[in-house]
This record gives sequence, structure tokens and C-alpha cells, in this order.
Amino acid sequence: MRLELGNIFIKDVQFGDTTKVLNGVLYISKQELLDAVSGDTRLTSIEIDIAKPGESTRIMPVKDVIEPRVKVEGSGGIFPGFISKVDVVGSGKTNVLKGAAVVTAGKIVGFQEGIIDMSGTGADYTPFSKTNNIVLVCTPTDHLQQHEHEEAVRMVGLKAATFIAEAGRNITPDEVKVYETLPLLDGVKKYPNLPKVAYVYMLQTQGLLHDTYVYGVDAKKIVPTLIYPTEVMDGAILSGNCVSACDKNPTYNHLNNPIIEDLYERHGVDYNFVGVIITNENVYLADKERSSNWTAKLAEFLGLDAVIISEEGFGNPDTDLMMNCKKITAKGIKTVLVTDEYAGRDGASQSLADADKSADAVVTGGNANEVIQLPAMEKVIGYLTPADTIAGGFDGSLRPDGSIMAELQVVTGATSEIGFNKLSATQY
Amino acid sequence: MVKEIERAGLPVVHICTVVPISLTVGANRIVPAIAIPHPLGNPALSYEDEKLLRRNIVLKALKALQTDVHEQTVFDK
Repeated sequence: MRLELGNIFIKDVQFGDTTKVLNGVLYISKQELLDAVSGDTRLTSIEIDIAKPGESTRIMPVKDVIEPRVKVEGSGGIFPGFISKVDVVGSGKTNVLKGAAVVTAGKIVGFQEGIIDMSGTGADYTPFSKTNNIVLVCTPTDHLQQHEHEEAVRMVGLKAATFIAEAGRNITPDEVKVYETLPLLDGVKKYPNLPKVAYVYMLQTQGLLHDTYVYGVDAKKIVPTLIYPTEVMDGAILSGNCVSACDKNPTYNHLNNPIIEDLYERHGVDYNFVGVIITNENVYLADKERSSNWTAKLAEFLGLDAVIISEEGFGNPDTDLMMNCKKITAKGIKTVLVTDEYAGRDGASQSLADADKSADAVVTGGNANEVIQLPAMEKVIGYLTPADTIAGGFDGSLRPDGSIMAELQVVTGATSEIGFNKLSATQY
Repeated sequence: MVKEIERAGLPVVHICTVVPISLTVGANRIVPAIAIPHPLGNPALSYEDEKLLRRNIVLKALKALQTDVHEQTVFDK
């Protein structure tokens, strides 16, 4: 499966009469965008705003971030199972409005939604202070159930990204990147002397607003399976996750998974990147056992020499991570884990809820408990009040002047467990 | 908490969904629970069946409390 990703560099986003891309500027017609996303009776209003890098702007509470992508050639369309039919994606050509992002915000759904600051300390901690953000603030009807609220807002985000991306359909990309994965046996034959490496991609599926979807299927209902890495780049996996702001994977991160991109980078040189195993993080012990048995079985079946395993979220998924590590290692396959830490505010506590001796190569995305100070911003898109109650906040987090003192976990994407940020730590 | 209470000389049963974590932290008597969002119940069952399920977990825990153990033991029978 071969995909050409055509990046159209977006250096600015402005409102305009029509939605179009011209000389690297994305113009958005508010009315056209509203027409594209409206119609869900569960939402009483949708407001659209723009937040640019460097501005004194705070967006909160943030639910999801989505990159606008459009399928130009090849089967299927972006976000199969939700926006497009369930045709197989991941081949042909896809154009990307690189530098633009759709952010969904508005009244809090759950309790762990995040903050994006476009300048100041908070901006250093989130990758989404560097994108030009089209923010949709959605207001639900009274007494709407949380899962309905989440679904309604999720669909607004996906529809908005899909609509905006259409503006890039006929634009010649500034840069084209080619990614190709051969059918397994051909791929193995092509590089007989290189170690065979795969990526074990753990998806957050604890339920109750911790959900991830694969081709429209709630991933808690899958058994681990194989997917071509390029399918992920076309939106085969997307977030329905309103929790764990700092270490969940927003849809944007799934589309741009750095572990996949980096594995391609040295593919055919240092190793043979044969594919991706997706698995889940369910709340029943039998599910955890079954899924980790299955990842180990697939790793063995593929004849792998090594895997990278990434976690999503924290707490009991630490056990899924350790089970995957232990069982895959027991097959004689090397493992490297990517996670983050909840090591207490001073960093002195045990970092993960579970541990195993076989976890001897671990990369961290940082300590989510560290306390940070976020200065007041001149403009707020959404609402400041949840600052005291989102995970990582506490009584008095929000100060009268609009500044916030809270744990790092309040910042969207701060401790990404797929390496979609700059934080880490090293032992010496 | 399990370890501190045991240190004070009282036997403890840890009813816990993720048994591996309980083993990692060092609980000695472990009774598996149902699921993380509902450790001691199951909303998918009828009221009567759920009551029976809950009663069985408590009975199993009481039995575990009275059982001599010499190593970490999971009461999953």
C-alpha cells in the first residue's frame, strides 16, 4: 500500500467570503463552515473563532484537535466509518493543510479536557500553539447526556476538518512525502537481512468518554489486528476521547503519528518496518489478558525481531502496556515502550501503576504531575471555569486575574505517549 | 493502604479488578473484581443477579480473610 502525502503549507488563517487556499493563506467563510457543520439538534449553537501562534489566547476546555486532510486519489475518503464510507484508505494521494488545525471546544463534557495557550508558558507545553487553529465552540442543549454531547461535538470537528480540507483538493502541494508498505511476505523478501520491526499501537478504550474508533468501530470491541501504517494517515483511527488531555491522542496525533513516520524514516536502511498491530485498553481483566495474548501471538506470527509499543492514557492501561511487553518479550522479541509518568509533583513516586522486569527500554513523554503556572491571556475561547475541576486542576487553580496554576496534565498533548511533543527525561 | 494495614497486624483482602497491579504493589490476599468502572457490580445484569454477584464477591473475600496464606494468593476459583 502506497500513499503520497501532499503537504500544503498554511502560514496564516483568516476569515473570508469564500473558503479557499491562496498563496499559503487559508481563508474560511464562516457561513460556509457553519452550513457544513450545523444540523445536529443536540447542539444549540456553534461559534467559530481563529487562534494563531503567538497570540494572547487561551482555548479551553479542548476536546479534540483535527488536521484537515482530503483524499485526492485512491480508494475511500478521509475518516472512513464516520465521514466517508468504510472503503479501505491509505493508498493513492492525500492532500494536507499542514499548519492548520480544527479545535473543538465549549462546555465541558467530561472532566479531563485540556487547555491550549497560544503564547506564554502553556504554549511551550502544547504542540497546538504552533498551528493556526480554527476553533469551534459548541453549546449543547440542556440535560444532554455526556456521551451524546461527546458524539455531537466529535462529528462537528470531523465535518469541519473535512469541509476545510476540500479547499486543498486542487492545490499543488509544497512538499510530497511517499510512504509505502508492501504485503507482508513481499516486504520480508525485499530486505532479508534487516531485522523485522512492527509498531504495537495501543488505543484508549476504557469507555465512559475514553473511546477510540477504527473505521467506525468502537475499538473496545475489536481483538488486536493488523493495519497498514498509511491507513492511519487517512483517518482510519480517530479519537472519541474526552479525557487525559495531556497524554491522549487527539485525532491530529493519530493522523501524524511520529512513531509511524519515524519508523518509515529508517525503513529499508536499519530495519524492515513491516506494519502496525492495533490493540485496545479495556476495563475487564479478561479483555486485557486476551488482547495482550493476541498482540504477542501476532508479533510471533509476523516473525518479528522487535516492536515499539505505545500507551495511551495512564493508570490501568499501564497494566496493558506491561502485559504486552512481558508477553511479547517472552516470545524472544525485543520491546521498547513509549509512555508518560505520574510520578507525583516532586517526581519521586513510582511513575507507572504497574511494572515488569522485561520493561528495560522505556521512553517517557514527561511527568504529568508537575505543577506549572499559566499566565492570564487577553482572550479566552471557551470557558475558564473548569480549571478547578479538570484533572490536574484543584480548588484555587483558577486565580482571580485569570492565571492558572495546575498540574501539567491540563495541557492538551503535553506528555504525548507517541512522541508528538518535545518533553522527555533521561537517566544518568 | 493494603500494606500499611497489614503492617499494623490486621489481615487484608484486596478486592481489585486489575490483579497484576495488586500483585505488583504487594497485596497478599487478592479477590478479583468485575471491571474498573464497576468493581463490585455489573450494570448489565438484572437487579437480582447483580445482588447475587455482589454477595458472592463479599463471601469470597470473607473466606479469603480466614485463609492462611504463605505467598501472594489470588482467590479466583
